[in-house]
Amino acid sequence: MEKSAGQTVSPRDPNHVMQLHRLGAFHQSRLSFMRILLRRLQGEVWTFDRPVFDIDARGVGRAVYSAHGPDRSYSLVAFANDLPPEKRSDRVIATEWDATFTLFDGVPTTEDLDRLQDNVPRQEAGRISEKELSLSRANRSVRLWDHVVECLSHGRQPDRQKVADVGYLMRTTAVYGSGKFGAADRDMTSDRPEFLAPFQVEMLSVFLTRAFVMDLVEHMASMRAPDTAVPLDPDLRRRFGIGNSTGLGMAPFLLNHPALLNNWIAAREEALARIRSLETAHAPEVETFRRFALRARLHAEEWTSDHPVQIEKLAALRHDTATLLAHLDTVDLTADMPWNRLWLWSEIALSVEGQELLASLLMEPYPHLVDDLATCMAADEPATWRINGAMPLDDLRALVEDIYGWALGIDWTAHKAQARIWYTSEAKLEPRLGERFEEDLDAYEQPLCPGRDAARMYTDLQTSDEATVAGFLMRHPEHRHVARRAQIAGRLPYAEIRDNTIDATVMPIDMLRLKLSFFGACHFDPRSDRWVRINMYQHAPFPHELGERSGDDWAYPFLTEGVV
Amino acid sequence: MSWSLNEIETLSRKAARGAGLSWGLAEEAGKAARWLTAAGLPGPQVLADLLTRNDGAEYEALCPMEAEEGTWVAKGGTLCPLISGAVLCDNAQRLQQGKVSLGRTAAPMLLLPYLDAAARQCGTALTVQWNGTTITLGNAAQTTGNGLDAPMAEKITISPTPVACPAPPVARRNRGDMPADVARRLTAFAERTYAPETEESRLSGAGAGLTDND
Repeated sequence: MEKSAGQTVSPRDPNHVMQLHRLGAFHQSRLSFMRILLRRLQGEVWTFDRPVFDIDARGVGRAVYSAHGPDRSYSLVAFANDLPPEKRSDRVIATEWDATFTLFDGVPTTEDLDRLQDNVPRQEAGRISEKELSLSRANRSVRLWDHVVECLSHGRQPDRQKVADVGYLMRTTAVYGSGKFGAADRDMTSDRPEFLAPFQVEMLSVFLTRAFVMDLVEHMASMRAPDTAVPLDPDLRRRFGIGNSTGLGMAPFLLNHPALLNNWIAAREEALARIRSLETAHAPEVETFRRFALRARLHAEEWTSDHPVQIEKLAALRHDTATLLAHLDTVDLTADMPWNRLWLWSEIALSVEGQELLASLLMEPYPHLVDDLATCMAADEPATWRINGAMPLDDLRALVEDIYGWALGIDWTAHKAQARIWYTSEAKLEPRLGERFEEDLDAYEQPLCPGRDAARMYTDLQTSDEATVAGFLMRHPEHRHVARRAQIAGRLPYAEIRDNTIDATVMPIDMLRLKLSFFGACHFDPRSDRWVRINMYQHAPFPHELGERSGDDWAYPFLTEGVV
Repeated sequence: MSWSLNEIETLSRKAARGAGLSWGLAEEAGKAARWLTAAGLPGPQVLADLLTRNDGAEYEALCPMEAEEGTWVAKGGTLCPLISGAVLCDNAQRLQQGKVSLGRTAAPMLLLPYLDAAARQCGTALTVQWNGTTITLGNAAQTTGNGLDAPMAEKITISPTPVACPAPPVARRNRGDMPADVARRLTAFAERTYAPETEESRLSGAGAGLTDND
């Protein structure tokens, strides 16, 4: 990643950024994957159609939503189900869902649909092929679904407050990609321009899923009362996002893809550094920033949670948005490195939530400084993965001291320091977090605690008389995984979470929020310390609206109906 | 059944760990099975046979030691290609400087992904020979002879080859086949890494227990 000419402010120190409480306060931004996708769909004038919509009055059947780009088409294949309430679970242990989906590479034939119908509704128990790029499922928000069908079938629009309270009609749970359950490997599509940025397959799948869900609810109302039913008002319709319910499965991903994590954070930090380095700002840019700050305040007001930790963070965030807006009325932001001054002010005046919101907001007036960084967010993981055995052992010692210095200061014999343990359960193979000193799990520990492992390696490094990493690892194969991590983080400064992932007080939801914020998710709502609900694509245009409405400017609520 | 390369890598990594390799070595074993599959070779099969053969063996017995300058042998008599491969790759620069020999080695095919990585790391092609089979790596991977899938090689030589090493080849295959018994054996090894299910862990471990009918 190249620095812009005249850049005077450096990207932030990884020791400061890569702490869990800060990563767990990240917000969506211009660099989130949903926004990258919709900018492309709009810029390349993708077209959309619905070649199949064959769903009965009980809501059972199948549908196909196709997206056509300059070179290729993709289709969401959806299977709708009539699910009894006792079977409705967002957990990975569920076996049936209200709707199931796959993103098909191209436009499926009837034979493809029949094959998929035998497999996609079974999810992990089924099998898909290299023609499919993702596999996912969703459950209804029952209270809102019933209300919307009821209202529409009687010719009324649903209650705005009820829509705002939930924010979506269906919640996806897992969205599997990258070769899972037989799907195409990412390598098969990663050289296509539309999939260069990370998670574009999954984001496209969810974008089309939202369109399907809204069509389905209107269809159900119409089937119930063909004479009186009305469709949703287009403005109200856009207030529905698509929910997602996510457990611990996401956390190991961040630790297992250090180069990718680095590139996400590095792009964001580079964007922030470029903007902080600006000598001046034009009045329209300052006004754009101020309007986004107003919209962010609205967003913070609409964002609710029952989780005590999130309630506290939301209170801080609301206070921060008020403080920020008041401050904006008192400062001149056109001269003397205005954004850097504002940033330095925020480090004293705002909570971590507010600081990280400000990082996202500062990007809004500067698409020309920010958006191209999206091309740096994928990772050539093999390029940095192999161990450099020729590295002198002193260099590895120095790397550990630099990257894991925080961990070398921890007393790892204290129970608190490694109270938790990451493992994989026998049932459904889901990642879990256990209590090390209460359960007998040590034999099953996953290598998801780099700090402790680096500290263990450091002890052996101090007594080793080997000259190189190759010689050291031949004697100590147990340190091989963390030596690799140290070398990767030595090349890529944001590759490692510099915090204790097995501490008694660790909040796995911090890791989930980090990842979900890069997806572009909003309304992060923890249901426990390891389980969250979020909203995606709320306020975004639907596929048929792209072009009339901006594919880029939708991620914050609008100040007045339909304007901006 | 057609498997994605990601599935093959993941299953192979877990199986290698389940069979007793360290996490770092297991990660590379997963990549090795994937590389061989992409090259049209039976990576998972060879891996399953090797893990079965070495199940329960100590690292010390399988690990290479330098018996004399440039010749590495196992203390226990037979080298493990997953360990030797990692060691060779860590010593990529040394491979560039002159011939290296390995003593008796099981499943030598599994060395190829590591040697390919070593060749790319130092920018020189490497030629590896055993049982009348010669493979040039890092240079469009040429093979002569039919001993590629030999279960054992008594002696292996690795020599630098003076041709430039081109850009990494495109994976020739995007999918892999795995005989059912191979998948079963690898799965059995992988299952050793999973903690037995308890009701307590099911409820607390994933942090759920709230209703989803809302």
